[in-house]
Amino acid sequence: MVGFRPEQVYLLMMLLYGGAALSALLLRKHPHWGNLTAHGLCLAAAALGTAASLLQLTVVEAPLRVSLLQSALPLIGVDLVIDRLSAFFILTLSVLGGCVSIYSFGYLQHYFGRRDVGLFNFLYALFILSMFWVLTAGNAVFFFIAWEIMSLLSYFLVVFESEQKENQRAGTIYIIMTHLGTSFLLVGFMLMFSFTQSFDLLAGSATIPGWAKDVMFILFLIGFGTKAGVIPLHIWLPYAHPAAASNVSALMSGIMIKTAIYGLLRFVLGYLQLQHAWWGMLLLGLGLVSAVLGVAYALMEHNIKRLLAFHSIENIGIILIGLGVSFTALAQGHALVGAVALAAALFHTFNHALFKGGLFLGAGALQLATHTKDIEELGGLIKRMPRTALLMLIFSLAISAIVPFNGFVSEWLTYQALLGSIGPGQAGINIIAALAVAALAFSGALAAACFVKLFGISFLGLPRSEHALHAREAPASMQLGMGLLAGLCLAAGVYPLGFLRLIDQVGVALTGTAIAGGLQGGWGTVSYPLAAAGTSISPPAALAVMVGVGLAAGILLRVLGGSGRERRYGTWDCGFAAINSRMQYSATGFSKPLRIVLRLLYRPGRELVVEEGRSPYFPDLMKYKVSTEAIFEKYLYDPGLQLINRFSSKLEYRVQTGSIHMYLLYIFLTMLALMLYNRLV
Amino acid sequence: MNPSSYILIQILTILAVAPLVNGIIRKSKALTQKRQGPPLLQMYWDLYKLLQKSAVVSETASWIFTATPYIVLATAVAAAVLVPVSTLIIPAGFPGDVIMLVYILALGRFFMMLAGLDTGSTFGGMGSSREAMISALIEPSILVSMLTVGLIAQSTAVGEMMAAMKLVTAPLLHPVYLLLFLALVIVLLAETSRIPVDDPATHLELTMVHEAMVLEYSGRQLALMELGAAVKQLVLITLLVNLFLPHDQLLTMTGSGAVLLSVLLYLLKVVLAAVGIAVIETSTVKLRLFSVPNLAALAFILSFLGFLQYFVLGR
Repeated sequence: MVGFRPEQVYLLMMLLYGGAALSALLLRKHPHWGNLTAHGLCLAAAALGTAASLLQLTVVEAPLRVSLLQSALPLIGVDLVIDRLSAFFILTLSVLGGCVSIYSFGYLQHYFGRRDVGLFNFLYALFILSMFWVLTAGNAVFFFIAWEIMSLLSYFLVVFESEQKENQRAGTIYIIMTHLGTSFLLVGFMLMFSFTQSFDLLAGSATIPGWAKDVMFILFLIGFGTKAGVIPLHIWLPYAHPAAASNVSALMSGIMIKTAIYGLLRFVLGYLQLQHAWWGMLLLGLGLVSAVLGVAYALMEHNIKRLLAFHSIENIGIILIGLGVSFTALAQGHALVGAVALAAALFHTFNHALFKGGLFLGAGALQLATHTKDIEELGGLIKRMPRTALLMLIFSLAISAIVPFNGFVSEWLTYQALLGSIGPGQAGINIIAALAVAALAFSGALAAACFVKLFGISFLGLPRSEHALHAREAPASMQLGMGLLAGLCLAAGVYPLGFLRLIDQVGVALTGTAIAGGLQGGWGTVSYPLAAAGTSISPPAALAVMVGVGLAAGILLRVLGGSGRERRYGTWDCGFAAINSRMQYSATGFSKPLRIVLRLLYRPGRELVVEEGRSPYFPDLMKYKVSTEAIFEKYLYDPGLQLINRFSSKLEYRVQTGSIHMYLLYIFLTMLALMLYNRLV
Repeated sequence: MNPSSYILIQILTILAVAPLVNGIIRKSKALTQKRQGPPLLQMYWDLYKLLQKSAVVSETASWIFTATPYIVLATAVAAAVLVPVSTLIIPAGFPGDVIMLVYILALGRFFMMLAGLDTGSTFGGMGSSREAMISALIEPSILVSMLTVGLIAQSTAVGEMMAAMKLVTAPLLHPVYLLLFLALVIVLLAETSRIPVDDPATHLELTMVHEAMVLEYSGRQLALMELGAAVKQLVLITLLVNLFLPHDQLLTMTGSGAVLLSVLLYLLKVVLAAVGIAVIETSTVKLRLFSVPNLAALAFILSFLGFLQYFVLGR
């Protein structure tokens, strides 16, 4: 990298993404070559982005400033500021983006001749570029523009297969929710300008009075919370993800919803500075609710992508728990707890991008092979798609926070930070923190249950449909893209220190407290820097012991044991005729005990239709349908929507009369009001 | 003590004693029912017999089914390394964390639930489904109670927690520890598939949970599964007795004699705990599956009250 400066690398990266978008459009007539070129260029750009952000996280300390466009208007200039916080998120974006591009070589082939791949890739490349701009915008106006571009491009990608009714509905819900959030951000930015006369994010917020900061915090929380999918603002996620293509879902869930986490860090921690502990506690409370409810709803889903979408809500909850602890501790002056919690949140952000990205890619592979998103129709795929099965198993273990994968390490840090935030004389924080510990444990175990269901029902047992019976393994490029992510999940789980050192640089830039020294123990041990006595975990040692014991048991059995013969025979069928695939446990059946236990939450309903034949004991047809209630939609959004509808239908007759004279009057009155306002203020 | 000999002592002690604990439980259950019961060493013979036998594997099963026994045993043994049998043998700064313990056991459970689904048998799926529910309900209690002890010890390392508990005089007479202890007893019963949550002796489809998951196993694979379950049971018993009935503060001498005596005292406590489990099993009935949430809720309330008591009463 001698002679290269990171600014130039970033510029080149942006050019490559632009080039990818352009070439995709130019080569529309040749989908094969167009796809190859577009994703080849995206891959190169991702490699450059990874290199530049790594360089920034290790060597280059000062924030970089790249001005693309000096506008004549004083407020609107396209200047990018890339500090270590941005660099960390760019790293996440680039790593995931690169793997998704490799995957897309094979994945998008099913669009060839059926869809406009050129247009798709044009939107796709620009979508990544817009996320890069969001992560690097140096002023609020450009941030807002980039945010809007990102939202719109992702909307187009969600409704790309627009002839399907449910995709249109998904897109509509998504765009309404995202604009609801954006409008809160807009008000926040206006407040920002009205107090500081500047949109510059690096300018201080010292001139903003305390109450306005509180208001702005709430506005940013709602605005970014909508994008992140925090409950109760989450309703768009379970619609948008199943509608989008799988590579887009991976990017949306892996990184786009994380731009909201970036936004919270940039605007609340970086710009507003923390002023009250309750800001953090509010985040912690929201995180707790999102973590538990997200996974609880996921458990009831059998559409693989809706299930994964609900898990995104859960993981955003876990990230918010870390962020909440961090904000609370920092506001109280406990710098070290704050730094550990921040590292936990950032590490989980990175980890979630890896395993959730991977899971969505895997879901795409399943959908391609079996033409269904319903796991109730799958089964036995481990025999037909062995590599995809292994990779999905790794992602499932990682997201369930199971040793030795990366999800465990970030949750361990979150637990430790929660423990560190508990102290005498602060009842509120203590109780919330203990509840958060319980919530984290509960959601972890429910996530494990959910992924046992997902993996067990779709990959194990007997195939439940013709499609599952005739499934074929995904193309090599798709396997490679997922395989890289799975490898990173294992690497970040077994040797987390390498990643935590990078994250520590972000923490130093944001909080001024370094923890990497305290985290580091011998032999890959991660220790908790705050504990009076040594508190540490050693994922490599744990892995070594487990592998050692497993191997030793295998060898001992071979040497000492008996014949070691294995006989293959049918599954035990209680002496009846051969077992068929419909006798297996289904996903609905698997989650039934928890549906009954948590019935207060799900409000399950069932519908049984029996068409009797000659005898009531041998019906001709039986239909059984289980449903759960979407509480938030039914009790929060639907009444709200009705209220708006009623209000606007009244307005229609009183205000929107259709007479041009009335409209002229409105214009005149508005002008008058504005003039008066200008005169008086 | 250096780490490698510590690990060796841990693995050998727990592997060697684990089947005996099942023997003691079965024997004392039999004695309370005026039966003679199987010999104390019966499980060793069972394991030996099973190891000699060939296994029958379902045609539907995949490599998950074959790998699971090894993974279950490996996770149980790795968990055994994290929970010291005596505080005298812990190497300084050993990375034995209680949260890691929970999530290592989760790995074994994850694969066991998958193996239940792997053969396409209804029984396996039923066992997995029930296990998923029970483990999800019981997990918050473990972590809240363990973190409360961790709060007192200022560390979540199991060794440090045990060392801190040595300083408490008569922990079970202290409200905080009594509540946590009771919560963990419920956790222990649920995690080791004991009455009132599950019945290790049943093969009736209405009642079985753990047995349903391992129903398709036979031969050496079954031996590994059974041994893994026994090791996991002893690990949890060790955690319970060494935290809440600490004994190393009673020893005045030092050196290898002290270590030996400490381990012997530990074994005595394990025998006591095993008899205690047998008493609970004979004096309660198995709960209906959908009453288990009430028990789990009780465990959670106990552990949460313990946490709150800590701030009221201190250590």
